[in-house]
Parts: sequence; structure tokens; C-alpha cells
Amino acid sequence: MTTARPGVPLAAMLEHPSWQDVTVLAGSGGHGDRILTGAVVHAELSTPFAEVAGPDAPLTGRLLVVLLPGERGDWRLDTLLRRAHTAGAAAVLLAGTEPLRRASHALAARLGLPVLGAADPLTAHSALNLVTAQPQLMTAETVIRTATACQHAGDTVDELLNGLTTLLRRPTALFHHAGDRIAGQRVLYGDETGAVAAWLGGSSAQHPVPRLVELPSRAVLVIHPVPDTSGAGPPYWLAVRLPTALRAESDAVAAALSVAAGAVRQRLTLRRLGLERSARSRASLLGELLHLAGDAPVAVRRRALDLDWQLDGWHTGVRIGVAPEVDVAGLRADVVAALGAEELDAAVVEQGDGWSAWITAGREPSGIEVERLAGAIRRAQRRLADTVGTYVGVGRVHAGPEGIARTLGEAGDAARLAQGRAATGRFLHVDRLGLAQLLLAWTRTDTFQPAARSLLEPLVGESGDLVRTLAAFLDAESSTAETAAVLGVHRNTVTARIARVQQLLGVDLADPDERLALHLACRTALTSPPPEGP
Amino acid sequence: MPTRPVTVRPGRMTDVTGTPARTSPAPALIRAADVDALVVGVSLLGSGGGGDAVTFAGVLRRRLGDGEIALISPDDLPDALTGGHVVPIGVVGAINVLTEKLPSGREFRDAVAAVTRWTGRRADALMAWEAGGLNGLSGLVAALDLGLPFVDADLMGRALPRLDQFTWAVRGRPLTPCALAEPSGPILVVDSAEGADGAAGANATGLERTARSFVASAGGWAALALCPTEIGEATRDTVTGSLTRALALGRAHATLDQAPAPEAVADALDARVLATGRIVDVVREGMGRGFRRGSLAVVDTASGAVLRLEAENEFLLAILDGELTASCPDLLCVLDRRTAVPRAVERLRVGDEVMAVVLPGPEWWWQDEAIDHVSPSAFGLDAPAVRTAVAGTPVVHTGGPR
Repeated sequence: MTTARPGVPLAAMLEHPSWQDVTVLAGSGGHGDRILTGAVVHAELSTPFAEVAGPDAPLTGRLLVVLLPGERGDWRLDTLLRRAHTAGAAAVLLAGTEPLRRASHALAARLGLPVLGAADPLTAHSALNLVTAQPQLMTAETVIRTATACQHAGDTVDELLNGLTTLLRRPTALFHHAGDRIAGQRVLYGDETGAVAAWLGGSSAQHPVPRLVELPSRAVLVIHPVPDTSGAGPPYWLAVRLPTALRAESDAVAAALSVAAGAVRQRLTLRRLGLERSARSRASLLGELLHLAGDAPVAVRRRALDLDWQLDGWHTGVRIGVAPEVDVAGLRADVVAALGAEELDAAVVEQGDGWSAWITAGREPSGIEVERLAGAIRRAQRRLADTVGTYVGVGRVHAGPEGIARTLGEAGDAARLAQGRAATGRFLHVDRLGLAQLLLAWTRTDTFQPAARSLLEPLVGESGDLVRTLAAFLDAESSTAETAAVLGVHRNTVTARIARVQQLLGVDLADPDERLALHLACRTALTSPPPEGP
Repeated sequence: MPTRPVTVRPGRMTDVTGTPARTSPAPALIRAADVDALVVGVSLLGSGGGGDAVTFAGVLRRRLGDGEIALISPDDLPDALTGGHVVPIGVVGAINVLTEKLPSGREFRDAVAAVTRWTGRRADALMAWEAGGLNGLSGLVAALDLGLPFVDADLMGRALPRLDQFTWAVRGRPLTPCALAEPSGPILVVDSAEGADGAAGANATGLERTARSFVASAGGWAALALCPTEIGEATRDTVTGSLTRALALGRAHATLDQAPAPEAVADALDARVLATGRIVDVVREGMGRGFRRGSLAVVDTASGAVLRLEAENEFLLAILDGELTASCPDLLCVLDRRTAVPRAVERLRVGDEVMAVVLPGPEWWWQDEAIDHVSPSAFGLDAPAVRTAVAGTPVVHTGGPR
């Protein structure tokens, strides 16, 4: 059947916020796809109406709303259902949510006529007419209310989203570019998260217009980009989940989001300003601490007190490095949260491409406590991995205000080493390293290893285990006899192999620079296996 | 007090008057063996109400003994009765109380004696003023008690709950003077019941009020004997042959097999089956206008159709799948599915297997000026009377107020 009148599915109306109070009393099974084209109000059961059906009949496709249906046991309810059915009504809405008597229930099921109940049928009636007949009015009303709500909501993004959720009566959330929800309520479930994250990743925020993402569960996500505060970064996305694609509602919500996006951006900017201001204050104090000679002056101590930093005691420095494009100020809260989750109460300061942090103990920690602390920091790093990839160095324990600079210095060195070492999870703890090992550790970095391997490349695949022979030869201070003993071969074999090495590599082992380079390369090649895969 | 059954035989009366025997069919005779059939018949005329006729069946059977009583047709009066006076009689009040407060056996005699003494007219015969339910039998019991002939004419043709639904009242005829006799002794003669305004129908309504307060203050029920009236005059505005019909219905019912098919029941009773199935809902709204209001719903097993019956003492309105299908004054009856025995409104429960049927009601009521007194709207139901055509579609009567 085709009808010129546009309508909304009954199922969609039942999930619409304005119909929150409407319940299905009978005939719900399989009638959800019924289309309501509007509502007609009747005062009571006996109100007469034309019992004719047809495309232009007054009741065809409409919801018959009965304001005073009397008692559920009234026989006229049955005749009304029959008359409404004959007149082509799509459904009947009665005042009150009391269940129907068995007879009426059986009749409604027999006629296939959904019967609804609502405490306030007149409001439900107006809502349906607004949706079906005046969707623009609904949009306008929603926009005005959104503007007012944005104006009166608090200064934080959370408060603003709460206001929007209350107004739209739908879950509302703010996503970042990667699909991470940074504020608001849950709007995605199960597999939807990945799909929408991919969609957001591939979507451009060039045009600040709302879009509709249809989810497999017939729910709809209305999303609207919110430009990054710098204007250059990837956008945020404001998203509202609607249980069904009801055109009138999604239009109104989309319009509301256009208004709200500006307000969200303003809140984000405010938050950003606050973050940066406090980041600057922390960074400047840390700068003074790092250049401290002797005890801290009173002014520094007072500022440290303001920030709840303990200058005395034993400090363990932590350097958390990130890629240069990462928003260090914005993510500080995540770092604090990750450390906090491991019960680490650390002072965290944005510094360069990452954060400098230290954990202060009232007494000198034992070796086991240091180990435990390093383990906790490592777990915190893994927690952070969901948000941002980091490399972490941990310094040794140092006491007093000057100790902060010292332990952070070690942590910085370790972090630089850790940066290239995927094999150790990009985590290094200075306490475990002797200075020599620290230096040697250099040879295991991601930058050195490929160079070492390419240097020795010509030897690979040749007969006679040339790399091992060369390494043993250099370890044995170029003694062929010693080398032969170590490898268990004849010294002439060693001599012949070394000659082939010099020939293949085109090097002169008498040159100390080349000897050093080859020695390190051998160490690297023998201590770490070649990378797997391409 | 011993009572002698009186048998009125047309043949004997022919002998008395010396006139030749009539050619019209002999009037129906009721013997003890016919009582069961008569009970089924008057229960069908009771349309679910009218009181439990079984209470009076035992009394009637005892009074009849080996004798018999004729149902004299007013169109075929024996000469001995011509010009005589007939007293319409019956029981008013909460007739269900009858099973608790049994008749003393004097009520009918006392009521008739009081009204004849007051009016100075003799009672030559009795008739029932109601044909459905127990009053279909009480007139016969009274006639046997008083040794008077019984005329098969009545003021309702079925069971109806109110005195203003007497055919006489509909025609504007007064129901007074009349007498009420209560089982514990008190006798009340009502000479007039009109209010000061003398409005139409005020007589019946006033009598109703008087009778009600009388029975309420006494035992809950009373015998009501109306004014002795010349037979021709008395039977002019009545339904005739109701008990003859009840007997015929009862006899036809007796021919049914155990667990009869609905079609067989319809054929035997000249009825239309509305639904056959289980009662899914019973609503009792307590006392409306002093009567028990209620409603029940039957879902037809075969078709799934939903039948709803609205009742006030009697079944008044049948709504099938939301459509008005049948109504008072036609006879809506609910029969036991297995035995086809008519069942009273107040005895029906959710889960009962039943068969709902409609039988044509008394023709008398389907007159324009009469129908408004017994259509559903006369009982406060916002619906017109729907006349049953046993074969064919129901006809909505347009003579109703709406």
C-alpha cells in the first residue's frame, strides 16, 4: 500500500523520548513496522466517527487517541477497537496504562490492532503530530532549547554533555579522532566501536556538517565534527545514539549538534587553556629544580608546596618519552591516571616530547622495593599503551631536592636508550645497568642493529662461520692461536678465514676505527637474532 | 394446608356450557413429567436471569401429583372464563433468596385474597406476569394452590428485571391496586403508586419503589398479585403463549444428544449460535441500580472470535468481535457446552466451556413504542436494540433513543 502521507514507524515512535510514557497494552507482536501518519483525538469511547477506510479517510493510518476511555471492562472499548480497525486506524492509544481485560486483549490480537496506553495521551498525541506533521517545528524547538542549554551548562565538557543528554533524552558522547570516547555516555556497543572508529578515522572534518552513521542494529549515530582547538589537529566528534532512524528526530538532533559543537569547542578550549597554564607553571618550577645548586630556596619550596611536590626524601625519576606530535599537555591526565592505577603517587611534569615524573619515598627504599617500583612503572607504561606509545627510562634513587635533577638525568639517559629497544618493551631501568653495559646497550638499539647487520652482510652465507671467527679474533686481541683454541680449529684455518673476511669486507683490521666498528657489529650480530619477517 | 390439584379440561367445560367442541388445537397440558422440560424452557426465556426455576420445579411437581394443568390460550378461552377476571401473579424481590428463605405456601393465596378483597372482584383465573425464570413456574404453582385455571399470557414474555417493563406499564396502564404477600406473614395492598406529578410511567416506578422497600424490610421476596382484570381486557396488552413456547423449547431440548453439536442445538431451539468455547473473562461490577451488572467473554474455539456478553441480571447485549450482534429483548442464553443446559449469569466462571446462543425474543417488544423499554439503552448501555434474524444477519433496530 502506498500513501501520500509521510509517517513514522510505530516502533520508532515507541522509542522516541516524547513517548517515554507510552506502553503497549495489546497487539504488539509484529506490528512494529506499522506507519503512523498522525493522530486523531477522540473524547471518549462513544465518540462517533466515520467507519470508512481508504487513502483519504480521516482515520486511515492514524493513531486514534481516546482521552476518556473509562474502565477497561467497558464493552464499548471492544466496539471502538472494531470501529477503529474498520476505519483503517494504525493503532489506538488509550488514557491510562492499566492492562486491558482479556476480551479486549484477545480482540486486539485478533484484529491485529496495536493498543497503546499512556498516562497523558494528549501529550503523546501532540508529540506524534509534531513528528509527523511539523518536523521543522520540532527541529526549531530543539535548536532553541539546545542553545539555551549550552549557555547555561557548566564550564566543563562533561557538564555540557550531561545537559545535552538530558535535553535530547538520548546518550551523548564526545570522541577523539581515533574513536576513543573522552566524555559522555556509552553510545557504541560490541563490534560497533571498531566500525565507527574506522569510519571516523577515514572521515574528513573539513566540512563541519552533521552526518548519520547507520549501525547494523538499526540504531543510528548522529555525529558532528568539533575542530581541534589548534585547528590543525584531527577533530573531535560529538555523537548521539538514536535507537531507530526516525527522520524527524535525527534532523532535530543533527541541528542541535551543529549548535552544540561550537559550545563543545569553547569548553575544550577553556580546558586546554587551563591545562597549558598549569603545565607552564609546573615546567618552570621543574626547570628551577633541575638547576638547583645546594638546598632549595624558600620561594621554590613554597611553589613546590602549592603543587604538592615533596622536595625532601628519596626520589626515583621516571622519564616518559613520546613521539613529537603527541599532545603532551592534553594527555598528562592519562599519565597520572596510569601511574595512579599502579598506586604510584608521582609528580608529573610536561617536558619536551614527554613527561618527567618522580616518585618520592620518606626513607631510602630497599633493593626489593626499588625492583617493585620499577615493575609498577613498567605496568603503568603498558596501561598507557592503549592511549599513546611511550618509551620509559627509570633513574636510580637519589635523596634531597638536588636528587630530583640527578635521578631525572639518569632516567633521561635510560629513556633515550629505551627508545630504540623494542626488545625490552622500550623500558630501561638504570639500576640494573653498569656503566659499561649502559654503553654497550647502545649497540642493541634499533638504529645500530641494522647498521651492524649491513656491515657484516657480506660474511653471511659464506662457509666457515666467518662472523663468529671474526668476533673471537677481535675478542682475543688479534691472536690467531688464542682464536683457534677458542673455536677449536687449526690456527691456519683462523688465518685463512680472517684473510677472507678482510677481502670480503674490504677492511683493514690494523685500522683501530674499523676494528672498533667491526667488534661492536659482531657483538650485536651475535647477541641479537636478526629481525623476523620482512 | 392440603391443596387439591385442579385440572381444567376443555372437554369438560364444553359439557358444562353445552357449546360444541372447538376446532382449534387443544391447549398444552402440563403433567409432572413435563416439569423438567418446562424448567429448561423458562430458563431459556430467562436469558440467564429470572431466578432459578429449579427451586419451584419441585414444588410444582408435588402440586401436580398425578394431575395436570392446562395452559389456556387467551385466543381460545373456554366459555366458562369469558367475562371472568384474571389475576397476574408472580414473585418479586431478590429471587435468589428463595433458596434460603423458602415459601410458606400461603403467599400466593394471601396476595390474591388481599387484592380481591380490596377491589371487590373475584379471581376466576391466574396468569403469570413474567414468563422467564422461576416466575414461569410460580404462576402455575399459584393456580394449583388456589384451584384456578391458568391463562398462558404474561406481561413480559421472558424475564426482565423491572416492574416498569410490564407490557401494561408500557401501555400506560396502572399496575395498582395490587397486593404483596411476604412469606413471614405481612401483606401489603397498594392502592395507588403515582407521585403527585402523575408523570407517565410513574405508577410502575412508584410501585417498584414500594415493593422494593417492602421486600427489603421483610424476607427479601414477596408474591405480587395485580388487580383482577376482565380477561379480554387483561390479555389485550400481553405476550401470549410464552409457557407453551417454553414447553415446546424444553421438549425440543430434551431430544438433543449428550454433548450436542452447536448446529443441532441451533436447529432444535430455532436459535443462532454466537460462539462455542471457553469463558476467558468474567467481570462483576457489583450492584448497579440495585441489580448485578457484569460482563463475560467467550473465545470461540473454532474461529478465535471474541464474544462479549453484557449482563444485568439477564444477558442484555452480545458483541462479537467488537460488533453489536444481538441484544435484549431477544433471548441471549449461555448453555453448558456438554449438556446444553441453560446457565444463569451468576453461575458462570472463567474456564467454563459454554455455547452462547440467541433465540428470538417476544414479538410484542419489537414495536416502536415498546422497544425503548427493553433495549440495551433501557439498562444504561449505550447501544441500540439489535434484532436477531435466526437465518441471516442481525438487524439494528432504529427505534431506539440513539
